[in-house]
Amino acid sequence: MLDRWLFQLKEKEPGEVQLVMRRVFILPTKPGIAFVGLLLIMLIGSVNYNLGLGFVLTFFTGSCAIVDMYMTAKNLAFLHLSPGRAQPVFAGDETQFELVVRNNTPRDRYALWLGFQDEGEPRQAIDVASRSSAAVVLSRPTTERGWLAAPRVRLFTRFPLGLFGAWSYWQPDLKVLAYPQPEVAPPPLPTTGAAREDGYGTVGLDNFSGIRNYQPGDPMRHLAWRQIARLHPSDGGNLVSKHFEGGAVSDLLLDLKALPPLLDIEVRLSRLTAWVLEAERRALPYALSVGHHEIAQGVGEAHCAECLRALALYGKEGA
Amino acid sequence: MIARLTGMANRLTRDKADTLLLLLAALMVLAPHFGHLPLWTSAMVCLTLAWRGAITLRGSRLPPMWLLLPVSLLAMGGVYLTFRTLLGREAGVTMLALLLTFKLLEMHARRDLFVVIFLSFFLLLTNFFYSQSILTALVMIATIIVLLSAQITFQLTGAVPPLAARLKLAGRIFLVAAPLGVLLFVGFPRIQGPLWGLPGDAGGKSGMSDTMSPGSMTSLALSEEVAFRAHFNGAAPPQEQLYWRGPVLSNYDGRAWTRAGQQLYPPALLRLARQLEWKGASYPYEVTLEPGRRQFLFMLELSEPGARIDGAEGIYTDELEQLVRASSDKRLRYSSVAHPAHVAQSGLDPQALERWLQLPQGFNPRTLRYAAQIQALRAERGDDAAIAAVLDMFRKGFEYTLEPGRLGRDEIDEFLFDTRKGFCEHFSGSFVYVMRAAGLPARVVNGYQGGELNPVDGYYTVRQSDAHAWSEVWLGPERGWTRIDPTAAVAPERIRTSLSQTLPQAAPFGLQGLADLARDQASWLAQMRFGLSAMNNAWNQWILDYNPNRQQDFLRELGTAFADWRPLAGLALCAGLVLLLKYRRTWRTRDPVDAAYLAFCRQLARHGVDKAPDEGPLSLAQRVRQLNLPREKIAAMTGFLELYGALKYGAPAAQNDNPVGRLNSLLKQSR
Repeated sequence: MLDRWLFQLKEKEPGEVQLVMRRVFILPTKPGIAFVGLLLIMLIGSVNYNLGLGFVLTFFTGSCAIVDMYMTAKNLAFLHLSPGRAQPVFAGDETQFELVVRNNTPRDRYALWLGFQDEGEPRQAIDVASRSSAAVVLSRPTTERGWLAAPRVRLFTRFPLGLFGAWSYWQPDLKVLAYPQPEVAPPPLPTTGAAREDGYGTVGLDNFSGIRNYQPGDPMRHLAWRQIARLHPSDGGNLVSKHFEGGAVSDLLLDLKALPPLLDIEVRLSRLTAWVLEAERRALPYALSVGHHEIAQGVGEAHCAECLRALALYGKEGA
Repeated sequence: MIARLTGMANRLTRDKADTLLLLLAALMVLAPHFGHLPLWTSAMVCLTLAWRGAITLRGSRLPPMWLLLPVSLLAMGGVYLTFRTLLGREAGVTMLALLLTFKLLEMHARRDLFVVIFLSFFLLLTNFFYSQSILTALVMIATIIVLLSAQITFQLTGAVPPLAARLKLAGRIFLVAAPLGVLLFVGFPRIQGPLWGLPGDAGGKSGMSDTMSPGSMTSLALSEEVAFRAHFNGAAPPQEQLYWRGPVLSNYDGRAWTRAGQQLYPPALLRLARQLEWKGASYPYEVTLEPGRRQFLFMLELSEPGARIDGAEGIYTDELEQLVRASSDKRLRYSSVAHPAHVAQSGLDPQALERWLQLPQGFNPRTLRYAAQIQALRAERGDDAAIAAVLDMFRKGFEYTLEPGRLGRDEIDEFLFDTRKGFCEHFSGSFVYVMRAAGLPARVVNGYQGGELNPVDGYYTVRQSDAHAWSEVWLGPERGWTRIDPTAAVAPERIRTSLSQTLPQAAPFGLQGLADLARDQASWLAQMRFGLSAMNNAWNQWILDYNPNRQQDFLRELGTAFADWRPLAGLALCAGLVLLLKYRRTWRTRDPVDAAYLAFCRQLARHGVDKAPDEGPLSLAQRVRQLNLPREKIAAMTGFLELYGALKYGAPAAQNDNPVGRLNSLLKQSR
């Protein structure tokens, strides 16, 4: 509570934030405190031995420390902070929060440390030249699916002399969607087996007739990645495409309700996630039904993202 | 040179360059100490620094602890053997120098870096035990800047600006800190040191002693060392009245004149003894005495008792000397008021005067016979005639020289009747001898005469070569002790100008021209000398001797100066100008397109259209079209917004076009 008042810890601040002086805090570092001790010793020495030049040295170096305080604060102040991109991840992976630090002032900023407030010492250091910006990526492990908001960020700097440390807090308005963790060894895809009305062919796990060399115009998702991976680069490293015959597919409905209700909900979501990925990998059109969410059949990145999002947010607020 | 160094640093890896910079800073701190460190220490420091440099360049490992520890213990033993102690100033400085050097070999964490930097700052301070000249100060500033650069370098994480930029940043820190440093220096409450005893302080420089024997003055007369500097708060008395009174010598043993050194009057007579009557003009003045062998303060004749002495206790003696108890290793400042016209101790009774009539038995028979004639003259025509007769003798046929030759047992006889060549000590000594033999109480006064006025800062510089000896004669209850300077009779120019101009000088390298140049006041060389001397004096007065008293005086002066409105107004004006310049710069740097847009938005606000923060020119234009305004005005406004949008977000305009001008004319039309 005291922290909140003293350091003006704010809630999420949308958009770009400028670190005004009011938000920059400063205290002497350990070397800074030692430096004060040194100045005292030098002052006493100058008094005792009546060293006129000693007084000059003491007072000038002391003033340099004070200027350092000012410059350290200025090294942090008036930076513009904005959230960068944040890619969705699967729970259990590291989230990468990108933060953009922009410097509109004519001064170059050196040795800015960034980290999450709750992690203690900041880990990443960046320099931002005058009138430019730099991006820093802070990572954080995810444990569960759903939205993960970026924790409060602490910016810290000791530049130029290291006698003072200035810091500032910023709560970026940045959140990352964590998809459920895909089940490791999921059961095979639950195909309905029912042929469509047009009565074309069968559906199975291997519904493509084989592979052939990639030809310009082949859809990207028909690339046979496994085969490509198996090919030795010395063989030319050619791309190969899956070749489908007929192109008919059966309905693939991934339904949460169809899974055994005894299973833990998280496990069921994990399995569905794994299936979505599997179907996507094999370019099989699929539909998803999670709770109230009915997502029509489809395939492709956007479709996949929509499905995964529905899975991630199932039963969560803001779904 | 710097460019080449920077180029070299670029080729080194970053760590190496950083360490080399730190080594350079350490070398700059240590180098001034080589002058007074024991030779083996200097050698060891140099070797270790070179070793550290080699380690850095080759990229090998730092020496292990089992090697460092014995070496440093050995060095400590060496310090003990050299100084027979590990405490005290000299030993302490030596230990610190070695500590810094070895610490450079044992750097593992960032903490060690700060230890090195802080040790360097402290060693920089200890150098001032040995030198506090202006040059030392300049070296100090350079060293601080390099030290700060090293400190900055070790704070950097990713990008490393070139060395020149880091030095510039350090220089900027120092420059910004300078005014604050000056303020602290002037205003920080000062305490008079020392706080504890100063072991092993050096003293015993040359200076005036409290005896006058043959040759004692000659050694001083050839020294151009500064004895003290004086400054008059107001007009200065004429040069020939600048007699700076030092020890008074009343005892003569046939060879040397010495001080009485005891209370001369019974307590009942003390009041009479200190009876001083002032006449004529008074001259307040201030003297800064250089460090040296010291017991006497030199007071302009005749100064009021109770001089104000900085940080020391003064003693005023019965013979009108000002003594002081103070350590001799620093400059001493004192001030008083002088009254060249005065009557001193006119109320002494004959019994008390006895002691200034005593002469050693069995010396100088010829002088005694001569003094008998003078006594007869005195009985017949008075004291003044007797004194005039002796001075007249000096004026005729006596030569003023620094090389009077050796004198025998009856030195006054030989001087007065044989060699007739001498220096102020001979003239004053023999004059007092004759006076005493003739029945007039007399004594020798030592001190300095004259001084060189520095036209740059108005200070009189009095050198050892201005040392002088003169006489005092007690001329009855009307006039008291009166100064008689027999040297003035022989060499009046010695009194009117300074000694260095009286004596023929040996020409340096046989070039008479150079010697003339050095003595000619108007030559540029002399101007330079005066300038340098004034600078040194200002340095001494304001930097080295800025003590609590000085501080109080200065702050009081400042207080009265700022009680007036004019200096304050001047200061406010200066501050205003600085602010104005700063703002002008921001005005100039602002984009003219943005400025025009801001002005336009203000105009719109007057028509009731407030721009929302997220509103762009296009949506503004839509709102403008709905305004109830003449059509051409709306056209100008939308035209302005279109042009602004194109300038701000469109492709770069053609070179010969003047879009800003068009923008501004549209702005005018839409008003």
